[in-house]
Amino acid sequence: MARTTEGIEVEGTVIECLRNATFRVELENGHKVLAHISGKIRKNYIKILPYDRVLVELSAYDLTRGRILYRYRT
Amino acid sequence: MSSARFTPGMDKHAVMITRVAETQWHAVEDDLTVGRGYTSLRPDGRMFLSIDAWHGAAFDRLAETMLADLPRPLYTVADGADLDLVSDWERAGFTMRRREWEYLVPTDPQVTGLGSAPPAGVTIVAVGRAERGPLLTLERVIREEVEATVGWREMPAEVPPRPDGATTVDPSQYAVAAQGDEYVGLLRVTTVLRQPRCRRIGLIAVRSGRQRRGVARALLAHVLGSLHRCGIEAASADVNESNGAAVALFEGVGARRVNSSLELVLR
Repeated sequence: MARTTEGIEVEGTVIECLRNATFRVELENGHKVLAHISGKIRKNYIKILPYDRVLVELSAYDLTRGRILYRYRT
Repeated sequence: MSSARFTPGMDKHAVMITRVAETQWHAVEDDLTVGRGYTSLRPDGRMFLSIDAWHGAAFDRLAETMLADLPRPLYTVADGADLDLVSDWERAGFTMRRREWEYLVPTDPQVTGLGSAPPAGVTIVAVGRAERGPLLTLERVIREEVEATVGWREMPAEVPPRPDGATTVDPSQYAVAAQGDEYVGLLRVTTVLRQPRCRRIGLIAVRSGRQRRGVARALLAHVLGSLHRCGIEAASADVNESNGAAVALFEGVGARRVNSSLELVLR
């Protein structure tokens, strides 16, 4: 987990695609968060699927919520 | 770069917006970055926006500042299921320009109802068997026809034009329909490495003078049947909602909508 001036970023694995364009992501520390995808991912039509490795930025207001910033190549 | 402070009044959030780069804005509240906005130019010259914010006030203030700085028209993309985000953009004045549906297409002929016989005089050339030269010619002709009619802005995002006009057609990804000694239709199907039991239909197109004769349906029947025999249960495809012929083709074989992508515009 890395805390930057932009927020807390942590890697995780998508375990479930939920309704309302959200994903359940299991972080490296075992915690699970609900995450939306970032605008950059959306603009580039990058699809997120279960088992994808992703970089998640956690919300400063609620550490159970996040935003998927990047999908790692498998 | 410029900054604008929005002080509390209407709500509890005091958010400072700063344009930190030509294409990037930050929203900061209590020393926390609570939102970011970006712009990017598509090869066709259109400017697309994206905003990531942790609360609605940050989104609204980023949008307000960005829209004041940028020329019109502006575009953005949202997942059709992300109602909160769509609502955010609508609050900023954006309206839906088009919707692209992602379909999941069954391959089993008993489900699709597709037969195997193509229209009279048409032969389907299996994926990987097409001759490169005639395929390149057909692909170029179809691209020119699209440019001369609806334009690529109306086509699914996964079949964008190549800015330099170059083509990199790979015959191993195409099935084609042949009539006489020329190719008249094509269907591109690709493998999605992360979805081994599914294939992706990237483009299905028939030359303008040969449409409405069942050629696209025959191409689809051939490819889906081949996938079924290989144990592939489904394929996915993106279809512009306003493309009635494509919608009818896919829904007619039992494809179901699983997702959608919205393009919104502020004129």
